[in-house]
Amino acid sequence: MNYFPDEVLEHVFDFLTSHRDRNAVSLVCKSWFKVEKWSRRRVFVGNCYAISPERLIARFPRVRVLTLKGKPHFADFNLVPPDWGGFVYPWIEAMAKSNIGLEELRLKRMVVSNEGLELLARSFVNFKSLVLVSCEGFTTDGLAAVAANCRFLRELDLQENEVEDRKGQWLSCFPDSCTSLVSLNFACLKGEVNLTALERLVARCPNLKSLRLNRAVPLDALQRILMHAPQLVDLGTGSYVHDPDAETVNKLISTFQKCKSIRSMSGFLEVAPLCLPAIYPICSNLTSLNLSYAPGIHGDELIKLIHHCRKLQRLWILDCIGDKGLGVVACTCKELQELRVFPSDPFGVGNAAVTEEGLVAISFGCPKLHSLLYFCQQMTNAALITVAKNCPNFTRFRLCILDATKADPVTMQPLDEGFGAIVQSCKGLRRLSLSGLLTDQVFLYIGMYAEQLEMLSIAFAGDSDKGMLYVLNGCKKLRKLEIRDCPFGNVALLTDVGKYETMRSLWMSSCEVTLGGCKVLAEKMPRINVEIINEYDQMEFGFDDRQKVDKMFLYRTLVGPRKDAPHFVWTL
Amino acid sequence: MFWVSLFTMGRATNSSSSSIDSSSHPTVSSASSFPRLKRDLSTDLSLGLSISTSDHHYCPSTPREQQSDWPPIKTLLRKALAGEGNKCNDATFFVKVYMEGIPIGRKLDLFAHDGYHALIRTLDDMFSTTILWAEVDGVLHSEKCHVLTYEDKEGDWMMVGDVPWELFLTTVKRLKITRVDKY
Repeated sequence: MNYFPDEVLEHVFDFLTSHRDRNAVSLVCKSWFKVEKWSRRRVFVGNCYAISPERLIARFPRVRVLTLKGKPHFADFNLVPPDWGGFVYPWIEAMAKSNIGLEELRLKRMVVSNEGLELLARSFVNFKSLVLVSCEGFTTDGLAAVAANCRFLRELDLQENEVEDRKGQWLSCFPDSCTSLVSLNFACLKGEVNLTALERLVARCPNLKSLRLNRAVPLDALQRILMHAPQLVDLGTGSYVHDPDAETVNKLISTFQKCKSIRSMSGFLEVAPLCLPAIYPICSNLTSLNLSYAPGIHGDELIKLIHHCRKLQRLWILDCIGDKGLGVVACTCKELQELRVFPSDPFGVGNAAVTEEGLVAISFGCPKLHSLLYFCQQMTNAALITVAKNCPNFTRFRLCILDATKADPVTMQPLDEGFGAIVQSCKGLRRLSLSGLLTDQVFLYIGMYAEQLEMLSIAFAGDSDKGMLYVLNGCKKLRKLEIRDCPFGNVALLTDVGKYETMRSLWMSSCEVTLGGCKVLAEKMPRINVEIINEYDQMEFGFDDRQKVDKMFLYRTLVGPRKDAPHFVWTL
Repeated sequence: MFWVSLFTMGRATNSSSSSIDSSSHPTVSSASSFPRLKRDLSTDLSLGLSISTSDHHYCPSTPREQQSDWPPIKTLLRKALAGEGNKCNDATFFVKVYMEGIPIGRKLDLFAHDGYHALIRTLDDMFSTTILWAEVDGVLHSEKCHVLTYEDKEGDWMMVGDVPWELFLTTVKRLKITRVDKY
């Protein structure tokens, strides 16, 4: 069957970029399996507990790029206690021992220690890229180790991590010989950096394309840095504050005018709005703008800024933009593909918030929109139906009404019909988050129509087990389901236990599932880890099967119960 | 099992709602027929029952949840907004305004205006006069008119309106309304 030498097969497989394609190719025959195995460079592990480092290395001995995800998504919102798990150290250790030629490590929601970073920096000679998203557990000392030892480092990208800042000189640890940086993002760090070292680093890295500074980098330093890096494509400003005087503004304007390549901006962690007009010349080329950490830019300034950004494809903003502001976005940003509107005042009854009006305006104005995250005061069925009609191309639709079970304020009805319209119209929908007053009916619609749905997030919705069953039965491509505060119980959990082996994970918290139900599931499905998280009532573990489970997280795995579970996690 | 459709969309404004027709519940008159969970303050809230108005949004009700888990935003963003969030609409820039001949001045928030026209309107009202500035050409009339000037960072008195509004904001220290004949 196999007439080609292995090198030819390998070359052909090189053209397969998706993991799914390469996985499929591995199943064709033994020799294809072998060739694919030895040529696989990029591996994605969606749940670090689904497989062990040793088995991964055995399966893909020549891996160069590894992506790992740890904690469940709801950990982002404080639903998972600290120390739950997701430690990357065993992975780094195993790869170091096996002489893996690791070049890139991308982690999401994992616990990273300084020891791990130090081991990483020492063990992998060709290490080029470290991307940490929503991770924790390390300090700037670990970063110093990476800076000092990774001689060919191209990318150090820290996105929204909780890093203890030792206010050391980690940036100064990049040796003078380091000239290879392409991407440097330390926006989430809180402490001071050595500004001189930063300037010199930027000046000696001619390939630097992406630079995101933290709050401690003042405006005048930004201006000097930009003079060294007019080739930047992506810029995150630090503190954008200065005593507004004409000279600073003029200097800034002329500096920004030299940066003709900037297509993406973020930051503005502190803002003096008077300095904002300096970026207007760049705005006309921007395709991506993230102002979600910039509450200092409000109302009129924000709208004026938007007016200049006609080419935006991605916009992340705070809801202080208001419905009217979203109307301006709708008129101005005709190329918009992704919109995220975050709540600027999560617990207030702000006038600044947005409603269904803003979203409807966007749907009329931005036909290319396919990804949405929208925190709002209220939503109506009519609005959702209109949005569904205007934008049938949604792949990601996440709606969060701040008052979690709020009905349609016009009709006082649940939002079942509105979300039903979304799933029926958006045939390519892969990710959906629901909120507002919702009954089992919305899940009936989801089960019926959301054929491509891979991830569903539900909170405070539904009436009975039927709701969850509609989803489990209907959504064939479902991979991740996360549920909180819904009346789904053992019947829903246990009706189709085989389903969970087709999914990555299921999270249920504050639902009606009992300990007994979870035990039954765990017994029936040996290749599923059923973890009960019980922080408060540890003494009652195992004593009463009728007890409702506070938090349950189950996931398919090839390696059985994990050995690093803390005392408050019980794997059944 | 599909429920019989006794339910109408009420005041839905467009006919596209008919694309989903096997809709939901038998009509209900009160929220009590929706089975609800232990932590459901919000249905009562949305019916307008007498709960304190500051609670219009769902907040975790059990005391042990000191750390917020709603709305679902990342901790880093939550912290960033907690410090800054209230400043969203708070930025102000008050400058003194004197009208020539009147010893007591007024104060005016420049940030509350989006440009020169709005500023002039406010001053016209505040001082009950017609105010001239750079954009107003033509013959300067007599005593009934005033000219708007400002002191800049260098201490010079300039006519208002020659530079872009944003640049004006960076250099203005205070305003003075002078009589035309003096100008």
